[in-house]
This record gives sequence, C-alpha cells and structure tokens, in this order.
Amino acid sequence: MTRGRIELGDITQHNIKQLKRLNQVVFPVTYNDKFYKDVLEVGELAKLVYYNDIVVGAVCCRIDNNDNQRRLYIMTLGCLASYRRLHIGTVMVEHVLDICAKDGNYDNVFLHVQVNNEGAIKFYEKFGFEIVEEKQNYYKRIEPADAYVLQKSFRNKPNTATTNSVTSDSPPAQDKKS
Amino acid sequence: MPSINPLPPKENALFKRILKCYEQKQYKSGLKFAKQILTNVKFAEHGETLAMKGLTLNCLGRKEEAYDYVRRGLRNDLKSHVCWHVYGLLQRSDRKYEEAIKCYRHALKWDKDNLQILRDLSLLQIQMRDLEGYKDTRYQLLVLRPGQRVSWIGFAMAYHLLKDYTMAIRVLDEFRKTQSVKQYDYEHSELLLYENLVMREAGLYQEALDFLNEYNEYLLDRLSVNEIKVELLLKLNRQEEAKKIANNLIDRNPENWAYYRQFEDAAQISCSEERCKLYCEKESKFPRATTPKWLPLTFTTGEKFRSVADVFLKTSIRKGVPPLFVIMRPLYNQAEKVKIIEELILGYVKNLKDSDYFEANCDTSEEKEPATALLWTYYYLAQHYDYIGQTRLALQHIDLAIEHTPLLIELYVLKAKIFKHAGDIEESVRLMDEAQSLDTADRYINSKCAKYMLKANLIQEAADMSSKFTREGVSAMENLNEMQCMWFQTECASSYQRLGKWGEALKKCHEIDRHFSEIIEDQFDFHTYCMRKMTLRAYVELLQLEDKLRMHPFYVKAAHIAIEIYLHLHDHPWTPESEQNNDLDSENLSAAELRKLKRKQKKKERKAEEEREKQLAEQKRKDQQSKKSQDNDLDGPKEEELIPEELAKTDNPLECAIKFLKPLQLLNPNLIGTHVVAYEIYSRKGKLLLMLQSVKRGYQLNKDDPHFHVCFIKFLLHVKGVKDLDGGVKTVIEQEVNKLTENKPINKINQEFLDRNSSSLPHYFAGGQMMYLIDPSTKELAVKLATSVSSNIKGVTRTTSIDILDSLCKGDFGPCEKEATDFQAQCHNLFPYATAFIIPANNNTSEPLSNGSAS
Repeated sequence: MTRGRIELGDITQHNIKQLKRLNQVVFPVTYNDKFYKDVLEVGELAKLVYYNDIVVGAVCCRIDNNDNQRRLYIMTLGCLASYRRLHIGTVMVEHVLDICAKDGNYDNVFLHVQVNNEGAIKFYEKFGFEIVEEKQNYYKRIEPADAYVLQKSFRNKPNTATTNSVTSDSPPAQDKKS
Repeated sequence: MPSINPLPPKENALFKRILKCYEQKQYKSGLKFAKQILTNVKFAEHGETLAMKGLTLNCLGRKEEAYDYVRRGLRNDLKSHVCWHVYGLLQRSDRKYEEAIKCYRHALKWDKDNLQILRDLSLLQIQMRDLEGYKDTRYQLLVLRPGQRVSWIGFAMAYHLLKDYTMAIRVLDEFRKTQSVKQYDYEHSELLLYENLVMREAGLYQEALDFLNEYNEYLLDRLSVNEIKVELLLKLNRQEEAKKIANNLIDRNPENWAYYRQFEDAAQISCSEERCKLYCEKESKFPRATTPKWLPLTFTTGEKFRSVADVFLKTSIRKGVPPLFVIMRPLYNQAEKVKIIEELILGYVKNLKDSDYFEANCDTSEEKEPATALLWTYYYLAQHYDYIGQTRLALQHIDLAIEHTPLLIELYVLKAKIFKHAGDIEESVRLMDEAQSLDTADRYINSKCAKYMLKANLIQEAADMSSKFTREGVSAMENLNEMQCMWFQTECASSYQRLGKWGEALKKCHEIDRHFSEIIEDQFDFHTYCMRKMTLRAYVELLQLEDKLRMHPFYVKAAHIAIEIYLHLHDHPWTPESEQNNDLDSENLSAAELRKLKRKQKKKERKAEEEREKQLAEQKRKDQQSKKSQDNDLDGPKEEELIPEELAKTDNPLECAIKFLKPLQLLNPNLIGTHVVAYEIYSRKGKLLLMLQSVKRGYQLNKDDPHFHVCFIKFLLHVKGVKDLDGGVKTVIEQEVNKLTENKPINKINQEFLDRNSSSLPHYFAGGQMMYLIDPSTKELAVKLATSVSSNIKGVTRTTSIDILDSLCKGDFGPCEKEATDFQAQCHNLFPYATAFIIPANNNTSEPLSNGSAS
C-alpha cells in the first residue's frame, strides 16, 4: 500500500481534540491536561500526521535538561492500527531526528517502551536507538509495568553522516557541556 | 434661478455654498451658511434656503426637523423647482418612492429641462418598474443630451424592457454609428452583445447569428460568443456547425454538462453506444475530468452500467472523494441502479478487508489500494443505507468506519445525520457537537452544529455556537441578522414556532422578509453604475432577478411559518400566559422530567437575561459611537424595531398573513402550498370567492396533493352549509363548484381521491381525515385508513407518521386514545430510533406523547 500521501501538520488549539482522541485510541495510558497544554507551546516538537488528508498519527516531544544533558524526549509517537506499515512511523521518527540534526545541540534522544512491545523496540532499533536502561514499575496502571529506555546518542560519533539520513548515524551534537 | 424670491448676490453666493457643502457632505458647514442667510430678517422665510437646511439636517439624522424645514420651505416657495426637488430627495431617502416621483414631476413643471431632476426621476421610475414613465424620461434626456452615451443606452433599454425590440435595436444601431471603436474595447464588445441579446429575445435568430459574424472581431467575450452561437445554430437547424463549436466548448471546459447535451443534440446521437463513444473519447482526452466519466452513468443500464459504475466508484474511492455519494445520488431514482451500486460496494468491502484490492482475484503485482479505500467504502455504504431508509445498517457501517479511522470528522457528521433522519435529534446534536469540537476552526461544521441545535430547539446554544465565528462585541443573533444569514433565521423561526413562542418566531420571519426588501433596495445603485460601466447584459439579468426575488425558498419557508402562526393567532388570540405555557407540554411529562426541564429552562432564562444585558450595554456603546460620527450620512431610513410581543399581539393576524401570502401567489403559483395556505386564510376571513379562487388554482395544479385535498373537501362542505348568499355570488359559486365536482356528492369525491391514490399513506391520511369529517360514523374505517402503515403501503415516512399521530391526538378523528397509542407502538417498531414514538415508561396515563408541531 503505497498510494498514500503523508504530511505533517501543526497542532493548534482548534484541533487539539484530535490529538486527545488519537492518544486515547492508540495508547493504553491517559495523559493529563498539562500534557496537552504544553504540546501547544512546543512548535515543531509536536506534530499531527496526515495520510491522504486524514489525521492518523501524532508525535509529541519535549526537551529534557536533567543531569547536565540536553536531551530530546519522545513522549508519544503513535499511529492508528488501520494505518500501520505505511511508513507513517518512519516519517515521524525522521522528523524528530531531523529536529535534532538541525539543532545540533542535543546529546541524545530517548523514549520509554513497555518491555513486551517487541514491534516498537525493533522499529526504533532500525533508526539506531539502543536499550540503555530498564525501569521497574515505570507504568502505573498497565501490565507489564516495566519499561525500557531506548536512546540514540549523538555524542562520540564520527562527524560524517548527512543530516537527512536517519538509518545511518546522525551528526554528532556539538559538545558543549560536560 | 426661477424662484419667486431671488436672493441678492451676497446671499446667493452663500446659498451656492450650501449646495456645495451638501454635495461634499460637509453638513455642519452647510448649516452655518444657511443660518447666515436665515438670520437676516429679510430672508428668514426664504423657501429654498429652508428646504436646503432641511435636506442637510436629514443627512445628519435629524429626520423630523428635516421634514419640518423642507415643508416650510416648500410652502414659502411653491413654484421653486429646488424646493420640490429637495422634497423629492427627502422622500427618496425615506424610501417613499411613489411620493418622490410626484415631487420630481412637480419640480419639472417649473424647470422642465433640469437634467439632474430628470436623471433622478428616471432612476426612481426604473426602480419602481414604471417602464412607460421611464421611457418618456429617457427620451427627454436623450433630446437634451444626445452627445452622451448613457442617454442612448437608457433610451434603448427602456424600449427593450417594454419588449419593443424593433425600436430598441434601431436606437442601438443608430447609436453605434456615432461610436469610434478603440482596440480591445470591452465596453463596445458588451454593447454589441447586449444588442445581440435583444435580437435573440425578439426571436431574430438568423439576424443575431449574422450579427455575431459581422462584428466577430470586436467581440471580446469569446466564451459567451461561442455559447450563443451553438444555441443559435441549433435553433436554426445547422447541426454540423453547432457540433463543431460545441466540441470546442467541451475542450475548453470538459466539466460543463450543457456542452455535452448541446453536442449530442447537434450530432443527433441518441443511442447509448454512440453516446458512450463520445464520452470515452473525451475521457481519454481529459483523464482528470469527472463529467465524461459520470454522465454515462445516467444513460447506461444493466451490465454496461455495472462496468461504468465500477470504474467510476473505484477511481473515486481510491482518490478519496468525500462527496461521492452526493454525486451518485441522482441515480438513486432507479431501483436497478441502486441494486447494482450496492452489490459493487459490498464486493469492495469484502475484498478490501481480505486483500487490500477491490477485486478478489487481482493481479498482485499491481499496487495495493490505499488504507483509506476501505474507510471511504464504509462511508459510502453508510450513506447508501441511510438514503434507502435502512437505519440499522447505516449505523452499523458508520460505526465500522469510525472504528477504522476515529479521527475523520465527516464520519461523526454522517452519524449525526443518520440519527437526524431516523428522528433522534438529541443524539444527532450530541454527535455534531463532537464533530465540531474536533476542528473548531472549521466554520462549515460549526454552522452545521448550530443548525442541528436549532432543529432540537436549543436556540441559545445555537447562538453561542455561532458566536465563535460572528463579529465580536455584538450578539450572535444580531450579527447573523445583519449578515442576512437566512438559513439560521429560518431554522430559528421554526424552532420558536415549535416552542410556541409566536412573537419570537414572527420576528425572525419579518427579519427575513426585510432582507428581501433590502436586496430590492440595493438595486438602486446599479441603475447608474451598470449603465456607466456598460455591463448591460448583467444589468438586465439583475432586473429580472429582482422582479422574482421572493421566489426564493428562504422567503417561501419564512412566509409559510409566518402564515401558520398568524392563522394560529387568529384561532387562539395571544394572551400573556399563552406563550409561557406553550413552552412545556407539561401534561405528558413525569414529575421528574418536568423538574429537569424547568431547571433547564431557568438556566436558559438566566442566560438570556445576561445576553439582553450585554446587548443593552452594546447598544449604549453604539449610540455613543454614532453620536461621534454624526457627520456621516445615514444608510437609509431606520427600520421600525421588531418587538416579539407586539407582533404576537396583532389585532389583525389575517391581514398580516395576507402580506406574506401575496408574493407567494404572485411568484410561486406553482407550489401547491401557496394555494393551501391561501385557502386557509380566506376561509377564516369568510371570503367565499377568494376561497374558490384558491381551490380552483390548487385543483388545476395538483388535485391529488393530500394537503390540497383537505382544503377542497372542507371547501365543498363549507359551501354546502352556507345559506343566504348574494344572487351573483351564489350563481358563480354554484357554477364553479359543479364544474369542479361534476355534480358528484362529496363522499364520492373523497372516495375517488382514495381510489386514484391507493396504497399511499399521505393520501390515505388525508382521505381518512376527510371521510370522518364528512360522516363521523365512518370513524373506524377512517382511522384504519390513516394508520395503515403495512409494508405494501408507499410513503410511510417518519414525518408523515408524526403528522398522523398528532392528528389522532388532536381529535381530528374524534376521541381515539387507544388508536393513537396503538399507532404510536406500531410506529415505534417501524422507526425504533425516533424519539417521537417512544412511549414514556413511567407514564401512568395512556395518552401518547405528541412530539409534532406545537399548534
């Protein structure tokens, strides 16, 4: 199925309910009002994905400045069941990595995945993410409650790759701190 | 200055300055100069100065003073054309055109060649369609100013409008001789095409065609020229040439249906194969055009239709064309096609689910269909089932679609629509609100939601919803009125009518009526503008449109609501209590429901109160603003404010109803409803001859219309009962009634009506109702007829069934509680989603809930 047209679109106060509805359908976790309030402020870090002009997925990130690192955290990245295996996830991850590349100041990008979600783990590994940590009882109301932290680092890598290619290594962050 | 009281040079100079100030809209300065003249004792009563002062005051919004001054001026100088002209202008600004014309005529008596007055007069004459007068005035203007283009054109147009085509063409020919043509002279081109239009209206087809050829090089609107040529060639039976041009037109715009029709006419092809060939050719030439793909669906049948429809549906679903069903809907009047379409679509669903292809045994090397294909197929199927009345299947498929893609707003809109059609308006409002919340920047969906709210009688909610898009600082209702948003106002009027808020409903109807008046007023500026700009074809079209303006469905709807309410107010005169009690149909509600409703209502009232306060504050602010900008001239006279209570309190509701009726009779004699309401009004006025007129008109138009039939029988019964008639009237009535009835007894006429329209519920309902009215002993049979909703009966719709239930409850068939309850239960089975047929569980009384109109 390759006939579709995939595009990214902004999240605004007018269509935020579509994001809420999407997350309700796609994720077992519910997000609080603050999540949706913040999403409106982050610009390119949160996007809806349109397939043939219909919203079918969304990606939301935030900047994480803990531990003297500047990291990008993927809060949600999901797509409706009927629209999987159409490269929609890829478009979203590419978008995220593209932000990191253009910015050039991120140490890494990371996310949480339920430990039994093999599909997701494989998916992210394709883009150079690695399991770096296992968190016990990360999730409150779902089983299994444990999560892996998947991370793709931009430091200590040779400065060769192009900015657009995501399956290969991304350019290194310019190391400033730490 | 031919005044009886000329001013000396110094004052005269001042007077000229007043005129100048008026033209330049410097009204305050104008008043100053007027004062300078009038303070001189010698000229304190100088007529023309007084008149001009009045006119200036009028522009400052001081209308009463204005009339005083102008009239005083006129009295002091009855032979001054200035005073009369000023009086005319004042009347004109007040939209009293007839009066204004009289004033201008007086003014011309004292200065017959005054160009300005003649021009003003001609404008009023064309506005009022005094065509003879217009012709005379234009003639004078032509004699006085033969060098001006507008003089000639106005003169020619006067003849054209009087249908004296020969004269119009002669004038235009003469005029063109004097014209030198520039390069790319669009105005000249329009003039030529206007003359050509006159020729065609005169039926001079050959001449019109020759004309187009002769002046071909000057005609710049090539599209129009070619369209006219095809039309003329077809009229002149010159098919070969017509075919060639029609073909060019198709190539120019392959989406225009008319071109294909003309081509077919010209090529004299009628058999399906030849037609298919034509469309095939065009389709391969314009692969992106829809029309050559769609039109074959209309004339092919059987297997050929199946294959064409198959391609058309697949392409559209693949592409994702949301209005696909709307495009296909015209084909749904043919059962065979509906069946084929259903089979095709069901096949797609199955195969798409299995394999992502439309066909089961598909070449798998081909690209798979997009993920949205299944979604659009479900969407189509839901609309298909909804349209053919299969609510359950429609809901099942829309739910499948929502499960597949929960974020497509159209799906919620459709689901709301399905519930609306099924008769559950509350649920449909809920869904539409949900749809709306998913994209609050979409005005279309916002409006839809507001409309559904109005259908559910949630008027305040609808206004709040609309206010997201109306101008800030003004209440939504006010702004929607200002914007002439008539879909909102008609729905709102219906809503108020259902709630029994007669005054509010009437207010909306009058507001709509005023919009139409205003659109007719707005014509005024075009009389000068179009002549000057030479857009004569469009201008003539505008005049024709304005003449028929109230034919518009918005007017028809508003007029019918208003008439129904006025009839009700005639039957049940307004009392302060009548409005409020109408709010709640309290007898039919349980105590708990009643409490809930009351609470809701209180909340609504509170909200309305706040709204009123807001409006008041707004009004104050506006008043202040307008005080500030007083030097701007006012836009027409201020309309009298519409106060709901006053409207409902009217002393002569029937006269008010007749005002709404007149345009219907004039412009919509082809709508049976016109004659039905006319009869209802005149029967209440007891005007026998007018009743007869309405009945005769309705009879000629469609004697088998159920609503008309009711009027007809009632009329016959009425005539039978009337004694002591005037000799003349009596003869006429008897003669005409005999003609209509062929001397048959009334029950026979009713029976014949039933026989002619057997197996149709609306007809059985009307016939049954009349059967009982003619002879109450037939009650059992009458009710049986009216409630026969078995499967072999046509026209069993939810709305008809509601009307029948209402009628049973109202006592049109005598007391029949049990019959009504049984019928309601029967309908509940037929229309399980319709709230009107749900019998409240905790209701002790056996009286069914009537959910129809509040009348």
